[in-house]
Amino acid sequence: MSDTILTLRNATKLYAGVPAIENVDFELRRGEIHALVGENGAGKSTLTKVMAGVVTLTSGTMQVNGVDVAPRTPLEARHLGIAMVFQENSLVPTMTVAQNLFLGQEHFYNRLRGIYIAAQQFLQSLNFDVTPTATVGLLGAAKKQMVEIARAVLHEAKVIIFDEPTATLTPEEKKYFFDLVRDLKRRGVSIVFISHALEEALILADRITILRDGKHVVTDDASKFDRARIVQAMVGRDLSNTLYGTRKTTVRTAGARVLTVQNLKMAPMVKNNSLSVFAGQITGVFGLVGAGRTETFKVVAGVLKRDFFHGGEVILHDKPVRYRVPAPAVRAGIAYVTEDRKVEGFFETMSVARNIYLGLLAKVPGGRFFLSRREAEKIGNSWVEKLRVRSTGNDMKVVELSGGNQQKVVIAKSLVQNPDLIIFDEPTRGVDVGAIVEIHELIQRLADEGKAVVVISSYLPEIMALSDRILVSRGGKVVEEFSALEATEEKIMYAAVH
Amino acid sequence: MISALKTFTDRFLGRGEATITVPSFDGALKPNQILEGAETVGQFDAPEDLATDGQTLYIADGAAILRLDGVATAEVRRFDRAVTALCCLPDGGIAVALDGREVQVFATPSALSAKATLSDPSIHAINALSAGPGGTLVATDGSAAHPYRQWAYDLMERGRTGRVLSLDIASGSIRTVAADLNYAFGVCAAGDTLFVSESWKHRIVAITPNRDRRTVLDNLPVYPSRLSKASSGGFWLTAFAARTQLVEFVLRENAYRRRMMNEIDPEYWIAPKLKSGQSFLEPMQGAHIKTMGVVKPWAPPRSYGLVIRLNDSGVPIYAVHSRVDGANHGVVAAVEMDGSLFAVAKGPGRLLRAPLTMIEQGLRA
Repeated sequence: MSDTILTLRNATKLYAGVPAIENVDFELRRGEIHALVGENGAGKSTLTKVMAGVVTLTSGTMQVNGVDVAPRTPLEARHLGIAMVFQENSLVPTMTVAQNLFLGQEHFYNRLRGIYIAAQQFLQSLNFDVTPTATVGLLGAAKKQMVEIARAVLHEAKVIIFDEPTATLTPEEKKYFFDLVRDLKRRGVSIVFISHALEEALILADRITILRDGKHVVTDDASKFDRARIVQAMVGRDLSNTLYGTRKTTVRTAGARVLTVQNLKMAPMVKNNSLSVFAGQITGVFGLVGAGRTETFKVVAGVLKRDFFHGGEVILHDKPVRYRVPAPAVRAGIAYVTEDRKVEGFFETMSVARNIYLGLLAKVPGGRFFLSRREAEKIGNSWVEKLRVRSTGNDMKVVELSGGNQQKVVIAKSLVQNPDLIIFDEPTRGVDVGAIVEIHELIQRLADEGKAVVVISSYLPEIMALSDRILVSRGGKVVEEFSALEATEEKIMYAAVH
Repeated sequence: MISALKTFTDRFLGRGEATITVPSFDGALKPNQILEGAETVGQFDAPEDLATDGQTLYIADGAAILRLDGVATAEVRRFDRAVTALCCLPDGGIAVALDGREVQVFATPSALSAKATLSDPSIHAINALSAGPGGTLVATDGSAAHPYRQWAYDLMERGRTGRVLSLDIASGSIRTVAADLNYAFGVCAAGDTLFVSESWKHRIVAITPNRDRRTVLDNLPVYPSRLSKASSGGFWLTAFAARTQLVEFVLRENAYRRRMMNEIDPEYWIAPKLKSGQSFLEPMQGAHIKTMGVVKPWAPPRSYGLVIRLNDSGVPIYAVHSRVDGANHGVVAAVEMDGSLFAVAKGPGRLLRAPLTMIEQGLRA
C-alpha cells in the first residue's frame, strides 16, 4: 500500500472565470498532520472543499489510495473516508447535539434515548463537555466547534479536514483539541489542518504546505519552518514584527465615559457585571469561553435582553438605556461587530455593496420605502476601497469572499453607521495574518479618532497588542482591570481562571 | 396614585429608584495596591484623624493627640474623651472635637488651656473639622441620632440628619450651614465654597456662601469620608469602606434590617466594616471571596482602603487602593506633608506613608 492516501495534481478551480486555486499539487500521507497555511483568499478553503466534495475541480485530478476520484457531494467524500469540519459550522441549529452527531445515519425507527446515551458516551470519550440533549443553536461557538469535530471523528473518516478548528477555542480547549488530533494520528487518520495561528501549525503539524494567491508556494517538514519563514512565504513580506510583536509602551488616555454597565444580569451567562468604556481608548475584554463577555455586550447592543427582574443598568452617555432590539441601539450610536459573522454578520447571498448599504439603512428610523441601487453601490464601493475588501466585482456575493474579506464587510456594515461605541467581538477570528494587520490598524485608527472601542477576544496576544486597558471577565462578570502597561499574560490568565 | 404604582413596580422589578447597582472601580478609580504597599509609620490603638500645619503631623489616637517626630511619636496632650476630629488652624492653633459633642480650640497644640470651647446640645457626632472662610471653623456633624462611634446604626437606619456647622471661634456661636445630609463626614473649604462628603449618598457636594448645594461628584462606589487639601491644588478624599450590592440590598429591605439590628451583634451585621476577615461569623465569606486559601483582590469588599485624589473641581484624577486581599482598610483620614501622603487605616490601626513620587511611579507601572 502506498504511503500517500490523498493526492491532487494540477488542481484548478475557477469561480466565474477567476481561479481560486491554480495548478496546485498536494499530497497527504497516511497518519500525518498536514497544515495548510496561507492568507485569506490564498485558496486553502477551496482546496479543502475540493477534497471534501463541496466543490468540484475545473481541471486537474484527485486520487484517494491511488484511485482517481471526483467526489461531487460531501456524502460521496465521506464514503471515500474524507470528512471536513468547517470553519463556519454546518450544524443544524434546531436539532440537539446528539441528533446532529447522528445526522444522516438515521434508521427507520429512531430511539432518541438511545442516541443520547451513545452521544454522551462518545462525547465523554473525547473529553468534550457538551450536553447531548442541548439544542445546538443555544450553544456557544466553541461548543458548536466541538460538536463538529466530534461528528467527523464519529464517522471514522480516514482523512479529516479541519478548517480553522481552534479559532473559537480557549487555550485549555485547544490543548484538548491538540491531544485529540494527536490521538487521531496515532490511529492512522490523516489530518489536514488549516490555521491562521502559525504557532499551532508549527507545534502540531508534521508537514506544512503554504499557498499564496491560489498557487502552491512550498511544502516542507514543519521542523524546517519557523514563524518568519512561514509569514514570508505566505505574504511575500515580513510581518512577524508587526503582528502582536511589540509590547505597548504608551496607552491612550481615557476620554469621556461613554458606557457604564452596572450589575447587569442575564441568567445564566451574565452575573452582576459592571464595567465602563471610555472614548478615545480601546478597551480589551478577555475571558475564557462562558465568561459572559459576548452576552454582556449583546445586551448593550440590544441583541439580547437583560433579566426582567433586577437586571441591572446600562448607562450610555450618562443616560440609562434599555434596548430590546438592536435598531434603537444602532441609532444611539452603538455598533456591534459580531463574532459569528456567517449567521449574524451579513446576508450571504447579497452583494458586498448591498450588505454595507443595509448597515446604513439600519440607522434610519423606520427604514426607507424606496432604495437607491446607485447610492448603495456608491457607498459600498467607497467602503470596499477604504477597507481594501478584495472582491472580483461589485456584484460579488459575500458568501464567495474569503473569511478575512467577509469580516471586512461586516466591519464596514457597522462603520457606515458612524457609531460612537464600536464593539468588536473576536474581530480576527478565522482571518489570515495579512487581514489581521489591516483590521488591527483600523481598530487603532478608530480609537485615535476618539471613538470608544471595545475588543472582545479570547486570544491574549491580540488583547495585549490592541488594548489600552484590559478587562478580564470570569464567571459572567468583569473581575479585574489592567492597564496595557502593567498587564502580563500570567496576570491576565490568573484573573481569568480564579 | 400613579407615583405610588410606579414606586411599587420599580421595587418589584428592580428598576428606576429601586435599581440595586454599584458602580465599578474604573477610570480614575482603577484599582492598584499602592496604599497596601505604603510604609507603615506607626501602629496605634485607636487612630482617628490627622492634621498638619505644613511642618508637623498630628495624630488623634483615642483620647490623645500625638506628634510625629520622624518615625517616633510624642504625646502632645490628652483628654478625658475620645478625639473624633482634628484640624490645624492658619494662626498656628489646633481645633479638637471631643466625643463628637464639643469642639475645643487651642492657641497652639501644646497650649495649657483651650482658648475657646464650642458646644451645643444639638451636636451629636462631629467627625471632621476644617478651617473655614473668614477665620471660622467648619465642622460636619454626621448624625443627630447616633454618636460618632455608632455610624453603622445611622447607615442601617438610613439616617438623614447630618449637618455642616460653621463655628465662630471668637464669639462661640454655632451656625448651621446645611442640614438633612445623609451622614456628613468630611469638609474642606475651597475659597468661600465648602466641599462636603455625604457618605450614605456616596457623593461630594459643594455648598456656596448663600447655602446653595451643588453635587460635585456622585455615584461613588465607596462611602466617602474626610477631605484635605492637596499641595498642588485639589483635594485628598478618603473612603472608609466600599459599597457592595449585598449591603445596598439590605438597605432596601426594611424588615430584614430591623430584625438584623435587633438580633445580631453589630460586629456581624451585613454592613460595611473598617476591617474584615477576623471571624468565621462574618457575613460575606466563601468561594467568591477566597479560592484555595487565597483571597481574591476583586471579591466583593466587606472592608476596603481607598484615598482618591480630586482636582480643584472635585473630579477624580487617580486613587490609591488597599484591595480586598489587603489589610490597610478603613481609611478615614489623609493629609499631604513633605511630599508624602499620610493616611490613617483605622481597621488595622496604622499610620501609612506613601511618597507622592512612589504613587506616581505606581500609577505609571
